[in-house]
Amino acid sequence: MSLPRIKTCAVRQTLQSPLRDFLLPALSQPTRRQFLSTTTKNNATVSSTPSPSTDPSRSQPKRKPLTQEQRDFLSSALRVNQAGELAATLIYTAQTPPLVNAHPHLRPLMAHMYAQEEGHFNTFNSLIAKHRVRPTALYPLWSVLATGLGWSTAVMGREAAMACTEAVETEIGDHYNNQIRTLLEMFEQWETEGYEVGKELQDLITTLRRIRDEELEHLDHAVDNDAKKAEPHWLLTGVIRLGCRGAIWVSERIEQTQITDL
Amino acid sequence: MAPSRATTRLATALLRQTTQPKLRRPSPSSTLPRTYHSYDHPPPPGVFSPAEKAILSAAYKHVPEHGFTQHALTLGARDAGYLDISTNLLPEGPFSLIRYHLVTKREALAPWAKAVFGEGEQGAAAAPLKVPEKVERLTWERLLSNAEVNHRWQEASPALAVMAQPSHIPASLQELALLADEIYFLSGDKSVDPSWYTKRGSLSVIYASSELFMTNDRSPGYGETRAFLQRRLDETSTVSGTLGSVAQWVGFTASAGLNVLRSKGIRI
Repeated sequence: MSLPRIKTCAVRQTLQSPLRDFLLPALSQPTRRQFLSTTTKNNATVSSTPSPSTDPSRSQPKRKPLTQEQRDFLSSALRVNQAGELAATLIYTAQTPPLVNAHPHLRPLMAHMYAQEEGHFNTFNSLIAKHRVRPTALYPLWSVLATGLGWSTAVMGREAAMACTEAVETEIGDHYNNQIRTLLEMFEQWETEGYEVGKELQDLITTLRRIRDEELEHLDHAVDNDAKKAEPHWLLTGVIRLGCRGAIWVSERIEQTQITDL
Repeated sequence: MAPSRATTRLATALLRQTTQPKLRRPSPSSTLPRTYHSYDHPPPPGVFSPAEKAILSAAYKHVPEHGFTQHALTLGARDAGYLDISTNLLPEGPFSLIRYHLVTKREALAPWAKAVFGEGEQGAAAAPLKVPEKVERLTWERLLSNAEVNHRWQEASPALAVMAQPSHIPASLQELALLADEIYFLSGDKSVDPSWYTKRGSLSVIYASSELFMTNDRSPGYGETRAFLQRRLDETSTVSGTLGSVAQWVGFTASAGLNVLRSKGIRI
């Protein structure tokens, strides 16, 4: 890593033409261009047709109807995840132009992270449409806040942008882990009562695990790219993490009661 | 000190007033909000218990003659083999009959849509209707299912007035919202952005006004109501199309302006 960077500095001093922005990435790109990922963005499709009813024999363990509480949890989980992935796509969209302008070698990384976030967003959009969950009502608010966050951290520099990614993905990873834990508790209770878990919910937990792993992969990329060197690192990540937690709280609690009051 | 104490007392009284309805909210009348719809776990129990259903379905047959009244309920209870007093099962009286009408007619839309539009994407190949057309057909079908009780909707026992009573407004509005959601779901609309809200909101308004129009419609086959419905839906699509174009223009201009600034070398 250190050798190419020195070379870059040398080239930068000698090559003072406007062309350098175009030439530099080609010269200084010995680092990996492909980012290891377990999945592609296209596997985020959700079968739109209801899964074929799996009751060839009545002797199989029965499935329990979801309680009101469980359905509330599932719909609020999908809604929060949609809002979160909307914000993530917008953060990367807003970060990319200023960041790539200043550091062209980050282009493939940003494109890769954006593509994955877009895949997650599409996954949750189709899940919400399929399961007839009300989408987030604060869509415009999340859009404005996320774009603002992405753009301002990108203007502050590469380290700040990566610190933003680090903070967001840390919170999101925790958030998905909590959801997975709740789902597993639900499954465990059903299984002790002798009921079966539907394929739909098993698919959901697989999807959540995959997405969580991808989000944590973004966290690693951010730390690899000097997220920890952001100027007041503790302040930046602290504020952003607090904001994330606040947003999750708002969409879980406040949005929950909004329409049912009507 | 005294005035501040008075204000705090007032504040707590107000607070109590505003929080109290929340405690009362999980009443049977406001169950089933729009939540996670599972395909492979059995559905939750319906709005009405079997006994209520028996009485209501029997009473519903008397509605064209006797309207949405306590009398129809009593007759229905008798028909179903219950005592007259068992109408106490339904503390909301005539409103539960109205609600039964709303719920059953809404639930009847799904099989109808399946039969007419074909099953999902596979069967739709023959006549691929667009979402707005499906919305129109479904809304019209729902309006037609009012035909049998249309003369009772406003006249002798004013169902509309019962629904507009303050204690029944939340449940009535919720039924309306559920109907709009059902229609858009059955039409295969997949949008999950803010248009989700505007679509359902405008359809609710259109449906409610068409229903009102229908109560005074004397044309054969309610032809005028259908024309009214189509005019309202066309207006909405014109308005939303215009707004969409304006939004697209604003977005394009903004991003173009931003890119011009970036091309000038400004680091934004």
